[in-house]
Amino acid sequence: MSRPAKNRPLNPRRIGVITMHTFTQLVRMKVFYFLGAFALILLGSNLFEIQDLGRPDLEGTDVLRSIRSWSLGTMTLFSVVIGVVATALLLPRDVEDRTLYTILAKPVPRLDYLIGKLGGVLLLIFISLAVMDLLMTGVLAVRTHFVTAEQVAAATRSGWPPDAVEALRQDTLNQGPTWELHGAVLVVFLRAAVIASTAMLISTFSTSTLFTTITGFLVYFIGNFQAEARRLYFGEGIDPLEKALGMAVAVIFPDFQLYNVVDTLIEGGAFPPGRLEMLIGLSGFYVVLHLFVSWIVFAEKEF
Amino acid sequence: MEPAVEIRHLVKEFRPAGRKLPLRAVDDVSLTIGAGEVYGLIGPNGSGKSTTMKALLGLVQPDSGVCRIFGHDSLKVDSRQQVGFLPENPYFYKHLSGAETLRFYGKLCGLRGTALEGRVKELLSLVDLSEAGDRRLGGYSKGMLQRIGLAQALVQEPRLVILDEPTAGVDPIGSRQIRDLIFNLKERGITVFLCSHLLEQVQEVCDRVGIIHRGRMVKEGPLDDLLALGDQTELILKDASPELLEKIRGLVAADGGATLLRADRPKTTLERLFLEETSERPNP
Repeated sequence: MSRPAKNRPLNPRRIGVITMHTFTQLVRMKVFYFLGAFALILLGSNLFEIQDLGRPDLEGTDVLRSIRSWSLGTMTLFSVVIGVVATALLLPRDVEDRTLYTILAKPVPRLDYLIGKLGGVLLLIFISLAVMDLLMTGVLAVRTHFVTAEQVAAATRSGWPPDAVEALRQDTLNQGPTWELHGAVLVVFLRAAVIASTAMLISTFSTSTLFTTITGFLVYFIGNFQAEARRLYFGEGIDPLEKALGMAVAVIFPDFQLYNVVDTLIEGGAFPPGRLEMLIGLSGFYVVLHLFVSWIVFAEKEF
Repeated sequence: MEPAVEIRHLVKEFRPAGRKLPLRAVDDVSLTIGAGEVYGLIGPNGSGKSTTMKALLGLVQPDSGVCRIFGHDSLKVDSRQQVGFLPENPYFYKHLSGAETLRFYGKLCGLRGTALEGRVKELLSLVDLSEAGDRRLGGYSKGMLQRIGLAQALVQEPRLVILDEPTAGVDPIGSRQIRDLIFNLKERGITVFLCSHLLEQVQEVCDRVGIIHRGRMVKEGPLDDLLALGDQTELILKDASPELLEKIRGLVAADGGATLLRADRPKTTLERLFLEETSERPNP
């Protein structure tokens, strides 16, 4: 009997091929146009408003905070939408177009296919967020420079003592580009990774893209009430039915509220100790869990 | 010699929504395809041809029975190293060019570097798409898509090629190109498992044929044996004079045992006539 080559699952090269192909597919679907719009608005707002910042009070830092808030809000919107929609679209599309037949008729384990597809979506989100982060950092750096100079000059003119001026300078710099801000972008990515893997799981048993998309957003929405579900579960004097419901929500749905630490970071705050590591671990756990369940469903699926 | 395909007592049932009883798509089908053979599975729409092929590729799981490719269980991924598959009406990724499509499938099969590039060029030339290799598939005609599909099926130099309705929706010229490619595969010793309801084409290219109806294999064997009418003899003459024909008629009548059923001028096929008039005619 002739012996064909062994094709064990989790082959990095094969996964890489599918990842890069999925990435190319999404790029050619013109997803990056969104980045162009983001850059245009960010740079445009910087150019047109920069002359209005000669104010000695904290209004300048409000503007910096608004740039951080607007940028991270857009990043969240982009990453969650792409995470759900792109993942929900790619799998059923391959089935409908029968391209999946030709892929699975090659020596491609189904697990590698799933990881590759998710990998492509995550790579796209990661690169997009990295570019957005770069743009945001650039704009913030420029504006922080001007705002700091204006604020320090105005405070000095007003006769503020040197230590107060220094405190104001430091306060303003904290609203500029910081490592915490890059950490916030990483948290946005982690949240998108979890929502994308959730959408992948749904798409393995769903029969339509629309169902997957709606359910994906629903999971995201419910996930934002995880903390309430946990409180119900662990709280005193709770009805057993409510308790069971709370437990179910707490186990099944990822707790997206944990990722809202981004809001604190926008305000210039820092990560609570161990929070970033915990989010990385938790996101990794959910992505692996979702992939594993997706694989179990997908491995038995008939086409 | 080890058979290329071995299907034993394959049964596959589906449970459509709103239907209590399962629908038996394939009912105890068995067949064997020897290495290097061209085998045609024919049958009306919904007779179980595609399901049989999908079971052989591990795309559906048999309810009972086994499918083997060169002795390997077809549900195992390793068996697919030796197989190329062209599905019915394939839609490849429109955002890729012909060459990119072949590169993608080649990489999935473990090809890399110059070996891959060489293979891509060779296949584009084989399916006559060298000039269209850099064009995106979105702009390909139906026949070109079928040919690029056939090329992707051959990318890892498989020993078995499975073709599901390879000429569906293709015009006669494209259809003939695909037929010629099948002959080419046969010459190179590649086993072809073909599924079609274009009987004339199956008759032209296949060594053996299976007829499947309502999920059951109703007839199977070498094409010549299946088509031969046991008690009849065909005699084709060129430039026969009326006198010679009259003599033959007389001899048959004098024999007493034989009967002359028909003496007529043989006809060409409509396909051959079409091809002669459209592609084989020299330019004025």
